[in-house]
Amino acid sequence: MTSIPDPVVEPQLLNAMRPAPGLGALFLACLKIGLLSFGGGLSDWLYQEFVLRNRWISDEDFASSLAISQMLPGANVVNLVICMGDDLRGLAGSIACVLGFLVGPFFAVIALSAVFDSLPDVTMLEAASNGVAYAALGLLLVICLKGVQRAMKFPPSLVVIAVVAIAVGLMKLPLIPVVLVVAPISVALAWRPS
Amino acid sequence: MRDDDLVTLIAVFVPFSLLSIGGGSAIIAGIQHESVAVHSWISSREFIDLFAISRAAPGPGTMLATLIGWKVAGWWGALAATMALFVPSSLLCYGVIKVSNAHKAKRWHKAMREGLAPVGVGLIIAGVMAIFQLAGGGLLAAGIAVASAALLLWMPRCPTVGVLVAGAGTMLLWAQFGATG
Repeated sequence: MTSIPDPVVEPQLLNAMRPAPGLGALFLACLKIGLLSFGGGLSDWLYQEFVLRNRWISDEDFASSLAISQMLPGANVVNLVICMGDDLRGLAGSIACVLGFLVGPFFAVIALSAVFDSLPDVTMLEAASNGVAYAALGLLLVICLKGVQRAMKFPPSLVVIAVVAIAVGLMKLPLIPVVLVVAPISVALAWRPS
Repeated sequence: MRDDDLVTLIAVFVPFSLLSIGGGSAIIAGIQHESVAVHSWISSREFIDLFAISRAAPGPGTMLATLIGWKVAGWWGALAATMALFVPSSLLCYGVIKVSNAHKAKRWHKAMREGLAPVGVGLIIAGVMAIFQLAGGGLLAAGIAVASAALLLWMPRCPTVGVLVAGAGTMLLWAQFGATG
């Protein structure tokens, strides 16, 4: 796969691109984003770092990488750094990006959890933890609202959302078989009208 | 015994890795069900705490799996759960970008994306319901969640960690002054 943008479409962008970074630079860039990205919005950070600041990746390649990473299972941002790492440095680039990206949060969550467990005032701790959880539900609600809004353009998608939410959320059916049944149907529905 | 735990952690998280459609938030309901109800690794209370910690910490929210692994079997558990959740989906992603000429927009990409997106949204709604029921916060919980969502919709540039801190602050004030029992 090549990372060179189409020169006919984006001549000025091609001139502006910098040479692909080394594995160490990729690792460090991802380490930084992994550690600094509190509370989500990580693809924005990646955009800032890879496209705007370092000019390693073109706007266009970023957009198509983002689309692929959102389509596939797995944390979107992890898929995104795999795509960009591969564009820049092949398999080794992908591995450097994923390791750099996950190693910081890995120790950070464990450290935070250890601090949490060591704090004495259980009642206040529970209250704070509930507050964070409720607010985090709000963040998820935003994602849901935007998803429902997008689905309005194609009513069968609304039915899919409702079926999955009711089956897994209300009826407590196990997630895996529900997805295995509904996902192919939903993809098939999306196939025809396009 | 510990080896069994590691194997179980991997067996639980590998399928979730491949089914986390639209990202890690989609499998919250599934992870909650497996770790609280099926395997009794953690209590409902602990699940809420781990969810809150994983959201407040840097990195993808899926680090929730790391924390569950940590609770079950220490460092090795954390490593096993993290690998189980990130390696399969990463291999799949790498395979797909290698096999398909990924930067060319293709019809099946579009169908996959548009078809899977509503499944992902439905799963996130299920996750919201699962945590809402588990936390049992009633109106107050709903109020904080809706207020946080409204805040982010009106001010998309507002840092999310600020929203989480505001949620914690509200509950602390409530615990201090508002609660009667």
